[in-house]
Amino acid sequence: MSSPAPKSPEQSEKNKKYDRQLRLWGDHGQAALESAHVCLINANGLGTEILKSLILPGIGAFTIVDGEKVTEEDIGCNFFLDHDSVGKSRAQATIQLLLELNPDVRGDYVDESVEQVLENNPDFFNNFSVVISTQISERVIIRLSKKLWELEIPFIACQSYGFIGYARIQVQEHTVIETHPDNEVPDLRLDKPFPSLKELIDSIDISKMELKDHAHVPYVVILYKCLQQWQQENEGQIPKTYREKESLRKLIRAEILNNDDGIPHDEENFEEAIKAVNTLAPTNIPSHVREILDDESCINLTSKSKPFWIMAKALREFVENEGAGALPLRGTLPDMTADTERYIHLQQVYHSQAAKDAEVMFRRVQQLLREINQSPDSITEKDVKLFCKHTSTMHLVRGSCIADDYDNKIFAQKLAPHLEDPESALVYAVLLRGVDRFRIAHGTYPGEYDDQVEPDIVKLKSCVSKLLNEWSCGPLAKDDYVHEICRYGGGELHSISAFVGGCIAQETIKFITSQYKPIHNTFIYDGITSNTASFTL
Amino acid sequence: MAASIAGVFENDLQQAINSSKVFVVGAGGIGCEILKNLVMSGFNDIEIIDLDTIDVSNLNRQFLFHKQHVGKSKAEVARESALSFNPTVNIKAYHDSTMSADYGVNFFKRFAVVMNALDNRMARNHVNRMCLAADVPLIESGTAGYEGQVELIKKQLTQCYECLPKAPQKTYPGCTIRNTPSEPIHCIVWSKHLFNQLFGENDPDMDVSPDTADPDAAGDAGMAALKGEANDQGNVTRVTTREWAVKSNYDPEKLFRKLFHDDIKYLLSMGNLWKNRTPPKPLVFGEVPDAVAGCSNETDAVLKDQKIWSVAECVEIFSSSCRNLYSQQQRLDLGDNLVWDKDDKDAMDFVASCANIRAYIFGIPQKSRFDIKSMAGNIIPAIATSNAIVAGLVVLKAFYVLRGQLENCQSVYLRNKPNHKNVQIVPEACLVEPNSKCYVCSPKHEQMGVVNGSILKADDFLQNYELNIVIVQRCLTRDGPLFEIIGSETAKPGSPEKLQPENGQTDDDDDVVHVIDGESTSNATSSIRKRKLET
Repeated sequence: MSSPAPKSPEQSEKNKKYDRQLRLWGDHGQAALESAHVCLINANGLGTEILKSLILPGIGAFTIVDGEKVTEEDIGCNFFLDHDSVGKSRAQATIQLLLELNPDVRGDYVDESVEQVLENNPDFFNNFSVVISTQISERVIIRLSKKLWELEIPFIACQSYGFIGYARIQVQEHTVIETHPDNEVPDLRLDKPFPSLKELIDSIDISKMELKDHAHVPYVVILYKCLQQWQQENEGQIPKTYREKESLRKLIRAEILNNDDGIPHDEENFEEAIKAVNTLAPTNIPSHVREILDDESCINLTSKSKPFWIMAKALREFVENEGAGALPLRGTLPDMTADTERYIHLQQVYHSQAAKDAEVMFRRVQQLLREINQSPDSITEKDVKLFCKHTSTMHLVRGSCIADDYDNKIFAQKLAPHLEDPESALVYAVLLRGVDRFRIAHGTYPGEYDDQVEPDIVKLKSCVSKLLNEWSCGPLAKDDYVHEICRYGGGELHSISAFVGGCIAQETIKFITSQYKPIHNTFIYDGITSNTASFTL
Repeated sequence: MAASIAGVFENDLQQAINSSKVFVVGAGGIGCEILKNLVMSGFNDIEIIDLDTIDVSNLNRQFLFHKQHVGKSKAEVARESALSFNPTVNIKAYHDSTMSADYGVNFFKRFAVVMNALDNRMARNHVNRMCLAADVPLIESGTAGYEGQVELIKKQLTQCYECLPKAPQKTYPGCTIRNTPSEPIHCIVWSKHLFNQLFGENDPDMDVSPDTADPDAAGDAGMAALKGEANDQGNVTRVTTREWAVKSNYDPEKLFRKLFHDDIKYLLSMGNLWKNRTPPKPLVFGEVPDAVAGCSNETDAVLKDQKIWSVAECVEIFSSSCRNLYSQQQRLDLGDNLVWDKDDKDAMDFVASCANIRAYIFGIPQKSRFDIKSMAGNIIPAIATSNAIVAGLVVLKAFYVLRGQLENCQSVYLRNKPNHKNVQIVPEACLVEPNSKCYVCSPKHEQMGVVNGSILKADDFLQNYELNIVIVQRCLTRDGPLFEIIGSETAKPGSPEKLQPENGQTDDDDDVVHVIDGESTSNATSSIRKRKLET
C-alpha cells in the first residue's frame, strides 16, 4: 500500500463524553460552547439548575456573583448544598460542587452583591458571552440591563416563584445562520437552471431509454423536462394553483413507460417527480432575507461590523450581480431513486455550482474586509461556506431593553394588547412586578410569614392595582392569582426550578452556539396548568 | 434534606409526599434528574432500578455520575450520590432488569406511583403492563435530542403505552442485506451481521453470504451451474463463514478476498438480480483507489472521525481491526464470543470499514465513522437541558397523582421549536381515553373475527417471544381434539426458524391474545421465533 497506515480516528475521551450532543449542534457548536463564559447572578436553586445544565455539556467557564450566605431555605431547594454549608458564602459553596460535575469547565466567583459589583467594578461584565440573573430587585435590574444592552451581551432575567417560572430575555441584536428548519424545500433551481445544470439535463434523452435506465433517471431530470414542456404552453410561468400543478403532474404521468399490455410500469422515480410538484416554488429571495439585506447594518458597514453583516453585505452584492436575483446555491441534493452514476453526476453539478457561488461570496467578503479595514482572517472560507448553505433560512432578532419595561408609557403599550385576554399567562408577569413593589414597600415577600398571609393579600392587591393604574390598564379579572402568590410566600419549588432551569439553559446554548431561534422575548410557565407561553415585550 | 416549603405545597400534598413510596425505573439521563427532584421535593421512600453500568458518553448529562464511576452500576451510584447530599432519605437501589421475574405485580403494588425513565420500548411495554396489572399510576417519559414528552398512564382512565401501535423498529429483508444493498444502512447492517458471524454469537438470521433463495433471482440461468453448492436453505454450503475464517486464521487478506471478491463474483453470477440494477464490482486486495469520490472538497472536516475514508484507508482499518478483534477473541474462554459494542474501538472500526468497502462495491455513497456509529448504534442524541425539563414535568405530574387530581395530568410535549402558537412546551387539552380495542389494557376483549387463514400475532408477557399463529380450520371429528398445534409450516426458506424457545422458557399461560372459540374448531399452527432486536 502506498499511503502510510492511517490511524483509526479513535475518538478522544472528550469527544466520547460529548458524543450524544455533538450529533445535535456539531463540533462548531461545541467549540462555541467551550469558548463561552457565562455569568450567573444569584446562585439560588434556579440559578444552580441553569448552571448545571450548562456545565454538563461543557461550557468554557462560568462566574457566580452572589453576596448571600447559605440559608436553610437554600438547602431546601438547591440539591448541591448540604447542612454544613449553612452560613458560608453561597457563591463559594455552590461553585465547589458544580465544578465537580465536569473537570473541563472553569469556574470562579465574586462574593459580593451585584449592586456592589456594578458600583466598584463597572467593567466587570464586559467580557461575558451571556449574563443570567435570578431574583434581582427592580432597581438593580434597570441598571444592569442598561449596562448589558450597551455592551450588546445577551441578558436573561429569570425567576422561579412558587409554581411560576418566568424569564425575560434581552438581546439587542442576535443573528442565526443555522436555524435548523423542520422541512427545508430543496434548492433545485428548476425554473432558473444555471448553465451547467441545463447542459447536463439537456444532454439526457429520456424518450429513447430502455426500462432499466428509464426507471433510474433522477426525478430532478424528469421534473425539469416536464416543467419546460409545461412552461412552453403556459408563457414561462411556474404552476401555482392546484389545477396548474395537476396539469404538470399529468404531463409527468404520461411519460411513464407501459408494459406490453399497456399498463404503466411501477417507476418510483416518476412517482417522486409527481410528489415534488408540490414543493416547486419560484427561485426568489424570501421576505425575511430581503429584510436582512435591506437592513441599515447590512448596507452601511463600518470597521466594527460583525462577520454576519459583512457576509450579508456580500450576499446583497451577490444577489445584485452574479446571482442575478437569486441566493447562492445550497448545493445539496435530496435522496432519490436513481442509479449511482447519474445521481453522483447530478450531485457534482450542484456541488460545483455551490462551490463556485461560495467562492464568489468569499472574494466579495475579502474585498469588503479590506474596505472597512478589518483583518482578512476574521472571516474564513469555511464561515462563508456555512453561511451560503443557510442563506434562505437565516434569522435576525432585534430585542428590547428590560429597563424599558419600567418606563410606564412604553410598557403600557406593550402590555395592553396581551392583558385583553383574561386567561393570558402574562398576568403572572404583572404579579411578579407587584411582588417587587411589595418587597420595596414592606421588606418581605407577600405571605412569607404564616400569620401575615391575610393582610399581605390586601397589600399585594393594592400594589398590583397601583401598577395597573400606572400602565392605564384595567383591574385584574380574578383575585385568585393574588391569593395563590401570597400562599407561595416567596418559596422556590425545586421541580419548577429544575424545569425552568432546563429551559433557560437551552436558550443560553442557543445564544452561545448561534443555532436555533431563541425565545423572543418573555417566557412564562404556569406549573398549575402545565401551560407555557411566550410573549414579545 | 427536604424543603420546608409548607406554604407552597398544600397540606394534603405535603403529607402524601412524606408517606408515599415511589419507584423510578431507569437511572439514566431522566432518571438522575427525577431522583434529584424527588429528593428535593421531600420524598422519603424511593426505589430505583437500572440494569446498566455507567459509560463515558453518559457524563454529559447524567450528573450524579463522574468519571471515576465509569463501569459501575447506575442505580447504585445514583443512590450514593443523592444520599451524599441528602443523607436522611431512604433510597433503595436495584442493579437489575425491571423485566426480571423478581419484580412481579405484588412488587409494583407497593408503590403510590411509578415513574419511567427508560430508553427502550421493550422495557416500557413491560412496566406498562405491570402497572396496569397492579393498577398503579405510571408516569411515562422520554427525550430525543431537543424533544421530549411526559404522559400519565392509568388503567381505564388514559391510553396505555400500547394503546396505539408504534411504528415498527426498522428491519430489512434478508436478501436486500445479503444480495442487493442499495442504501448505506444496508451495508451497515450487513457489517454488523458479519461481525457476529466472525466474532460474535452465531445467529442463522444474520447470514452474510449470498442468498440464492432470493425471489428476485428465481429461474436464473446463471445459477444453475452453482446449484450443486446450495442446500435447501439457500445458503452456500461450501463452509460457514465462521468455519472458513477459523481455518484461515482470520487472515485479513483472505477474508477480504472471500467477502469482497469471491462472494461478489458469486452474486454477479445471479444475472437476474442485475437486470434492473447496477451490478457490483468485485475488489482485489491491494488494488483499491486511495481517493474519496465527490469528497475532495471536504478536507476541512474538523474531527477526524467525521472524515470519509478512502477505500484504501478502509482496507487498512479493516485489516488492523480484524487482527485486533481476532486476538481479543483468542483471549476469551472457549465458547465465549465477542459482543458488538459501538463504543468498542475495534468493533466500531471493523463495522465502519466493512460497510464502506461494501458500499463502494455496490456504488452506494460512503459515510464517515461518526455517521456510521449513529446508524449502527441506533444513537439517539441526548442533552442535559431536555432531560431537566422533562424530569421537572414528571415530578410535577407526580404531585397531581398523589393528590388524586388525575384530570390535571394531560400529556405534555417538548418540541424542538415553537409551534404555530409560539409555544414550545405543549400540553394536551385533555386526557386521552384508552383505546377500547387495545389488546393490553382493554377490560373486555372484542370478537375479533378469527376465520380460516387468519394470522394472529402474539407475544408473551416478558416479550421474549413473538408468535405468529396461523388459524387453519378443519371439520370437527367426533373424537378428535378441539385444538391441535400442527407446527411451523410457514417457516420461510432461507431463514431457518427456531422452533424451540431458548433457555427452556415457556410462554403457555401468559399469552395476551385470546382466541375465541367459535362454532367450528380451529387448528392452530404456530411458528415461534425469537424476537429480533436491532441493537
